[in-house]
Amino acid sequence: MAFAARIELLDQLLRDGQLRRAPAISLRAPRPLSTGIAALDAALGGGLARGQIHEVIGPPGAGGTALLRAALAAATSAGELCALIDPGSSFDPGRGIDLARLLWVRPRDPVQALRAAEIALEARFALVALDLGDVCVLPPPKRPKGVIEVVRFEKKLTSAGASPWARLARRAEKHDGALLLLTRAPQAGTFASATIELERIRAQWEGRHGAPGRFLRGAVAVGAVARHKRMPPSSPLPLALPLVPR
Amino acid sequence: MIACLSIPDLSLVAALRAEPQLAVEPMAVVQAGGGAGFAGDGRSPNGGASIDPGARAHVLGVTPAALGVVPGQTLAEARAICPRLQTRPASVERERAAAQAAREAASSVSPRVEETGPGLLYLDVEGLESLIGDPRAVARELVAAAERVGLRAAAGVARSKSVARLAARAAEADLSLEPTRFGVGGGAFKVVPVSEEREFLAALPLEAVELPAELYDSLRRFGLHSLGDVARLPAGPLAARLGPDASTLLRLAHGEDASPLTPRAEPDLFEEGEELEWDAASVEPLLFVWKGLLDRLAQRLAARGLMAREMFLSLRLADGSWDERALDLAAPTREGPALLQLLKLSVEARPPPSGVRAVRLSAAPTREVLEQMALFGPRGASPTQLAAAVARLSALVGPDRVGRPVPADRWEPFAVRTGKFAPPPPPQVVFPAPSELSLAARALRPPRTADVRCDDHGSPLLVIGEGALGGRVVASAGPWRTIAEWWTDSPVALDSYDLELAGGLLIRASKELATEAWRIEAVYD
Repeated sequence: MAFAARIELLDQLLRDGQLRRAPAISLRAPRPLSTGIAALDAALGGGLARGQIHEVIGPPGAGGTALLRAALAAATSAGELCALIDPGSSFDPGRGIDLARLLWVRPRDPVQALRAAEIALEARFALVALDLGDVCVLPPPKRPKGVIEVVRFEKKLTSAGASPWARLARRAEKHDGALLLLTRAPQAGTFASATIELERIRAQWEGRHGAPGRFLRGAVAVGAVARHKRMPPSSPLPLALPLVPR
Repeated sequence: MIACLSIPDLSLVAALRAEPQLAVEPMAVVQAGGGAGFAGDGRSPNGGASIDPGARAHVLGVTPAALGVVPGQTLAEARAICPRLQTRPASVERERAAAQAAREAASSVSPRVEETGPGLLYLDVEGLESLIGDPRAVARELVAAAERVGLRAAAGVARSKSVARLAARAAEADLSLEPTRFGVGGGAFKVVPVSEEREFLAALPLEAVELPAELYDSLRRFGLHSLGDVARLPAGPLAARLGPDASTLLRLAHGEDASPLTPRAEPDLFEEGEELEWDAASVEPLLFVWKGLLDRLAQRLAARGLMAREMFLSLRLADGSWDERALDLAAPTREGPALLQLLKLSVEARPPPSGVRAVRLSAAPTREVLEQMALFGPRGASPTQLAAAVARLSALVGPDRVGRPVPADRWEPFAVRTGKFAPPPPPQVVFPAPSELSLAARALRPPRTADVRCDDHGSPLLVIGEGALGGRVVASAGPWRTIAEWWTDSPVALDSYDLELAGGLLIRASKELATEAWRIEAVYD
């Protein structure tokens, strides 16, 4: 059969519906990372988009750390490599996260933390979690009395630079990594592709006050995708945060 | 076939390896004397040992641009001939590193290598035809391998070790000196096929062979000028007249050499060193020296497909003692900037007790980890990229603050430490774990001290802490008593409470039973 005749036959089969075009294999197809919470994934359009910054904002007790942990647990259980940049050195391994796939970095200050996040994105970690939850909220530990500290006045103070978020957004996009940022107040501004706001509702206690056997059962919070570059803001999502024994 | 790789003027090439730009300048490497020059304190820069105070500084090697200056001249004579002459002191550390680099260059061509002296190596190149090509290609590759580690080399390939050595010496006549990216180049080679061996040897002058002076004079008195002249003499009478050295020379003239090649084992450490012309008393000048050493070390490791698994820094101090330290590498790497930062951190944390006179860097090598990436999946982190990133992060925040979180081998609230980050390969089939959102504890390391007021029953009523960590207690649970680590010097005895403060903050607070001091260990979030 001639080549033209074969093409014509294929066209005919396609028109009749006996043949269908196969979807093109796209290496750039979006493969978002799950947050570990189905409702939040749906509100984010599938999860945390790779190559983007996502910001989680909420007061202590609203479940920001729980959300960060859930995202890390979901990503590591999917076989992805993750990095946790933790300037407050507050990470508690607990359960759920595959620790073998998690690089824990404890910078000494926020400037180091931003630089460490940049390095982790350049190394193509799938999810880089930047935990700035302790910065600006908790005071630094007191230095022991009687210790004389030498201050070198000639040393320049380290500075985060003019626009660390612009730089981080570029790194995330270039190296296809998702950056999940936990803060107590908005930091990344328009450089974040999505902003998840959390609010604490109440703590849940079990047992009568003062009685033996009383314990903290967990907390209830509410979260919402307040801003997203491609999705409408979501309705409030109730979040139950049970306290799981370590 | 046997190949010989030699590095003529090793002291000069070793110096130019550190400063290649001087290859086109009039420059001489000078062995310091006791009277003047580089070691005015009477101490040789080579090994720290005292040298003869009456000895004069003399030239060991010289670049072609220093016209009229030859090795053996005193420094004063050399400067009188060439006033623009730049000088560098001879350095044992640099020569050691250059000789080791030559060994690695030879090992990258053939696994069977014998080193008979610094910068003089023999290789078994039998069977390399299918891998590299004919003997000319092997010789060319040998010279190129040496240039890749910054060395100008002469190579000879022949049927035996002795003839290969003579071929390499013959090739020295074609050497030039050119600065390259990694050091100096301009090497040359000569191949002596078996069929041409007799002619090659017959044409060689006696000066081309290393002979005892007495034997050389005797042969010249007899009117013999080349190995061909010697080969025509009868063996018995020659040995009877001139001794066993003449017999050996006769065998060489006939191309007879039965000495076997004795290969050596792989080196355990890759080393680079440098001696300073002054005592370095701060980190800044050392950084400059380390950078050069690290660049050369990284180049050598990369040429062999290796990475540094461990790194050791040795500093020779002004009093001749050595300050040795090991760098804590979180992952194998050969990234210069990260290693430089780690060296800086190490010396700043524990400065050497006196000035530094010589530096040596040693790297324990390990194979570069290569992994096949997914064909259709997104490009993930390669093991090399990961190792480099971990090394960069270690340099940024300190090696003890980067790694895989590992539960500490001690019972203490929220105790955790960092281990080596060595992630397993990605799973072939992924089973998504069920999502689980639970209240997480943010550990406070170290725990914050607080003043806690309690009621008559001991229940907390008010927390007076730092910043947001304070307020009226609206709900509480506890205490849960913990007695642990009583078998150690730092026992743990605590009563722990979960508290909800008036602002809504949920905290974990504990009272130490021994001191009755309160501390806040974690914030629930």
